[in-house]
Amino acid sequence: MKKGIALTILALLFAWQMISTFAIQRFPKPEFESGYITPETLLPSPRAEILEVLDVAVLLLALSVVTWAVLKRRSRNLVFWISVFSLAYFGFYREGCVCSIGAIQNVTMALFNGSYIIPWTVLVFFMAPLLFTLIFGRTFCAGVCPFGALQDLISWQPRTIGPRLNAVLGIIPYIYLGLAVLYAATGTDFIICRYDPFVGIFRLNATFGMFLFAGVLLLSGLFLARPYCRFLCPYGVLLNWVSRFSKYHLTITPSVCIQCRLCEDSCPYEAIEKPVTVKNPDSRKRMVRKFMLIVLLSPFFMLLGGWTGSHIHESLARVNGKVRMAEEILHPKRIAGQSETIEMTAFKASGKPAKELYAEVTGILREFYIGGWILGGFVGLTIGGLLAGRLITRYRTDFEPNRGTCFSCARCVDYCPVKTGTGSIEL
Amino acid sequence: MEEKQKGKQKEKMVDRRTFIRTGVQVSIVVGLGGLTALVARRTGSGEYVWQLDPAKCTQCGRCATSCVKTPSAVKCVHVYAMCGYCDLCGGYFLPETKTLNTGAENQLCPTKAIKRTYIEDPFFEYTIDEELCIGCGKCVKGCGAFGNGSLQLQVRQNLCDNCNECSIARNCPSGAYSRIPAGRPYLLKGFGKEKLDIT
Amino acid sequence: MNRMKPSKQTIQLLNRIALISGIVAFILCILIIANYIQVKRIDPLNTPAMTVLLDRLKSNPGDDALRTEIRELDLLSRKAFFTSWWQIRTGGYILLACVLVIVICLKWIELIRPKIPPPPEPVKEDFWDQRKTRQRWIIYTGIFLVAGSLILAWLTYTEIGKTLYRQEIARQGTDSRQATDSLERGPDIELTINQLQRTGGQDSTPVTGTDSESDATQSGTTPGNADLEEQSNGPQQAFPSREEILSNAMTFRGPDANGVVNGKNFPVSWNGTTGTNVRWKTAIPLSGNNSPIVWKNRVFLTGASTTKREVYCIDAGTGKILWQTDVSAIPGTPSTAPKVDRETGLAAPTMTTDGQRTYAIFATGDLVALDMEGKLAWGKNLGLPKNHYGYSSSLIMYRNLLIVQWDQAEGASVKAFDGTTGKLIWNTPRDVKLSWASPILVNTGNRMELILSADPCVVSYDPASGKELWRVDCIYGEVGPSLAYAGGYVFVTNEYARLAAIKLGNPPQIAWESTDYLSDIPSPVASDDYLFLVTSYGVVVCHNAKTGEEYWVKELDNSVYSSPVLVDGLVYLLDKTGIMHIFKAGKVYQPVGEATLGEGSVCTPAFAGGRIFIRGEKNLYCIGN
Repeated sequence: MKKGIALTILALLFAWQMISTFAIQRFPKPEFESGYITPETLLPSPRAEILEVLDVAVLLLALSVVTWAVLKRRSRNLVFWISVFSLAYFGFYREGCVCSIGAIQNVTMALFNGSYIIPWTVLVFFMAPLLFTLIFGRTFCAGVCPFGALQDLISWQPRTIGPRLNAVLGIIPYIYLGLAVLYAATGTDFIICRYDPFVGIFRLNATFGMFLFAGVLLLSGLFLARPYCRFLCPYGVLLNWVSRFSKYHLTITPSVCIQCRLCEDSCPYEAIEKPVTVKNPDSRKRMVRKFMLIVLLSPFFMLLGGWTGSHIHESLARVNGKVRMAEEILHPKRIAGQSETIEMTAFKASGKPAKELYAEVTGILREFYIGGWILGGFVGLTIGGLLAGRLITRYRTDFEPNRGTCFSCARCVDYCPVKTGTGSIEL
Repeated sequence: MEEKQKGKQKEKMVDRRTFIRTGVQVSIVVGLGGLTALVARRTGSGEYVWQLDPAKCTQCGRCATSCVKTPSAVKCVHVYAMCGYCDLCGGYFLPETKTLNTGAENQLCPTKAIKRTYIEDPFFEYTIDEELCIGCGKCVKGCGAFGNGSLQLQVRQNLCDNCNECSIARNCPSGAYSRIPAGRPYLLKGFGKEKLDIT
Repeated sequence: MNRMKPSKQTIQLLNRIALISGIVAFILCILIIANYIQVKRIDPLNTPAMTVLLDRLKSNPGDDALRTEIRELDLLSRKAFFTSWWQIRTGGYILLACVLVIVICLKWIELIRPKIPPPPEPVKEDFWDQRKTRQRWIIYTGIFLVAGSLILAWLTYTEIGKTLYRQEIARQGTDSRQATDSLERGPDIELTINQLQRTGGQDSTPVTGTDSESDATQSGTTPGNADLEEQSNGPQQAFPSREEILSNAMTFRGPDANGVVNGKNFPVSWNGTTGTNVRWKTAIPLSGNNSPIVWKNRVFLTGASTTKREVYCIDAGTGKILWQTDVSAIPGTPSTAPKVDRETGLAAPTMTTDGQRTYAIFATGDLVALDMEGKLAWGKNLGLPKNHYGYSSSLIMYRNLLIVQWDQAEGASVKAFDGTTGKLIWNTPRDVKLSWASPILVNTGNRMELILSADPCVVSYDPASGKELWRVDCIYGEVGPSLAYAGGYVFVTNEYARLAAIKLGNPPQIAWESTDYLSDIPSPVASDDYLFLVTSYGVVVCHNAKTGEEYWVKELDNSVYSSPVLVDGLVYLLDKTGIMHIFKAGKVYQPVGEATLGEGSVCTPAFAGGRIFIRGEKNLYCIGN
């Protein structure tokens, strides 16, 4: 009898095609006569929070140890083993997620989106390496960052790539940083995480395209040391800025440079500044004039960049799902026989009026318009800054690491024949 | 004399350099401190996890394909308390099934992850083998359309990597994904709120 | 130095190990990629072979061999699916191990390789040159970035920002205009009528002028306006002539929407199954209960699903779909389709055309105009109709005015839009209940009247201004059938109410009534002498149009939803199973023929150019000798 009723109701429901209604108590929970007990629905818990604290502890510990290894022990071997540990822990065990590079986006989102709550662990992951860098240089890159560690491991026959390619590729991280901040601020996407090439390797799982990207990066990493760190990493931009003003930084020699030139080619990252012995063919006056010109031109660069950015803002905004949705409604592609996209179906099912979406998208587009100006201005300023940076000259007599680009990997230290007893840094 | 002056000049230069350096160092510290202070107001003591709201879910099938894990960390969860124990289960059988048995030709689930066991006339229990479930949501759709909606998609928190940016959330057409406090990591419907707490 | 020799051997060995693992890694890589592509290409869980088998089983549920086949295939495909998972995963682990071996070997070599200090090369002093090169290339990059971004912006430009901006403006605009509309509708109408006169040619000024300005009772009008349609044939007139209206099928139920069709020599026998007298048959992608309309060599109809609304144009000669336009994305359209009765559907109203554009309306309240090439000319949402079965009143054109009977549960009205722009020309509120009938246009001899039927009355309006001309309270209930008109009589009917003949005049009066047989869906049709009424359960009744005397009653075997059409002295009546009953419009029942479509139908056929266009459940048929 019950069965009959159930079947009739079901048949009726089939007939009325009432799809998309959700969770209606159509059939009462039966009263069992056989003593059947309803099983519990199991709800396994997420990773314990104490383990997140452990992550922070490991980060701080690794940072301290690697700093000590670089500055006090001056031992490349030790740095190498710490980086292997970091690769194992932050890379393969934690699968590359919580990472300082991605934390940029969380911090940005916390700044711009009032409703977003950033976990304190992520904030520590963002701040701690920056603080360490401000005091000790980029020791984070040397042995804590799993991305750096992975690339360091596979750099086999690193080659130099010359000033042209360096100049061109060197601008990419700035643009990447700008885009990442723009997309995070508008709540569109976390592009650093989305286009993270190494996470797929740590997880042994990624889309085909991302695997391809990772493969290309790793293969080129055989001959081009740390390609991601040098020519993509947006966090590296921040570390670069901060490291220039670091209090203590790795030095190639523990005491006095004897000009033996042994370390000259030891840096796979082209981060060793060689002594400048030849005088600048241009007069000092001319250099000053050039410098002033670039400083004066910088606002123009920023304006040009901003203008360009504002022109491309709609294309940038199209990464946003809502913008794409509105576009699909406003400019439907008339292809006969093609069924509508899943997004369109979901949007229609949501019952949200199109007007509301349009209003929202208008707001997003305005954000992107302003963001486009700022992003372009930032890139313009970067170009001005890079140009100006190439004009300031310090005549040095010794081999020194470039404080901005040096990863503090301590390779050069191994090449230096000067070994004083303590090898300590001068405080 | 001249040499002395030159030395002095150099000293002056060095002084200026250290001054600039210290100035910038201090401003960086202040900047980072300020940023921390700004952001710290938005920090939460607890962790957050990704979860999908079954009420917004349209069962498009992307949970199965978009997750960074294979198989997806999203599984079908059976809320037994809501189940009607139907003989003709909309989540188990293909539409227009004539004979209600467990034959492959009748089953909706592509991986046969749902087990159907007889309890008493006319009731059947349906259990989900999460080892086999790929989170495609076909059964969820069927159950929601014709049954009580006791089958619901959920991120299984023990399987989820808790990525910084959930790649399913990004691809979800109905915006069903959100970050929720880790203390209450499930959003099942028809389930007492206190029961969803994990403590 | 003494470590040199063994280390050389070790280096060689390590090099070989690295090479071998490198080759293994490479092969694995290729295998994994191949596996991936294969899984991507054929999803083992979703094979077409399985779908075919399941479909076959559905039509043949007793086939046990088929069942076994399905089970075997299912087992196989699941095995393939899980194996490919396992393969990719295991392959990944082995690949990782290989890479690890390579890395260890290389690092080891690096460690034990004797480190010979590099010979001091002569110092290259290209420091300043390098700097300049760098600067130059930074500038190049900057220029490239600006140019690249601009080109990208240009290539991907889609005007979305502008469109949204325009939308915003338009919305504000309509809001304010609606406000003024409700305040001062009167002057607004006069204005538009004056505009109409200006475009309508110099000769026609008096007629509409007097109508709108003073003559509310319509007792007397200017002489010499026997054929109003003729008048509108000024040189600048865009709308079709009376001949064109008569020779095409531009509206639901014939030229004046009353079921009477002009023309001769339409086929009286065909067979949709065998193909006799069937010119062509075309499947219509989306379903709809609207009837086809015909303009010259083109047939138009609409279809809708819960998510999509489409307009189709079909070549009347070949049956080819010339274009189909998705009109789902009209601004303001509800994101979910309204709940409607299955028998009404989401595309019940029939389209209309003025030869320049075609017009369609859907159950969502979307009113759209498309040009003859399928491009959206304008579209607007009139609001979701408050209608529990689903909106079904068909459209009709009066000159350049598109008239919409907007009867709904609250706030019923009749509206006229400018066909060119979609601008609301007049809007007359109606104090009637919800109805499903369609408007008819009547030429009474001295003026055109737009007559509508809904609980509780039949109301006539001036189609140019929307002014009410007369009303007769005679109907109630959920009015589905539209009106019939012939020889000065308007016929109205509804189930549980009555059948009434209203004799036009001043004032109009009910000439006769009957309650024997009443219709709730099919509309009646009338000639000067006879009235034919069909009930939805399949009874045809013939009355004397002037007196109401019942001449004959014929019971059909099947129910009827589509409306009868009177053409060339014959009545064509299509029943729900697709059988067309053709009989003489006469005092006695005299069947002429019976033709099968081979497919159920609820749509009224369209007659044009000696051919009959019938929309079945799935296909559109063109019948012709």
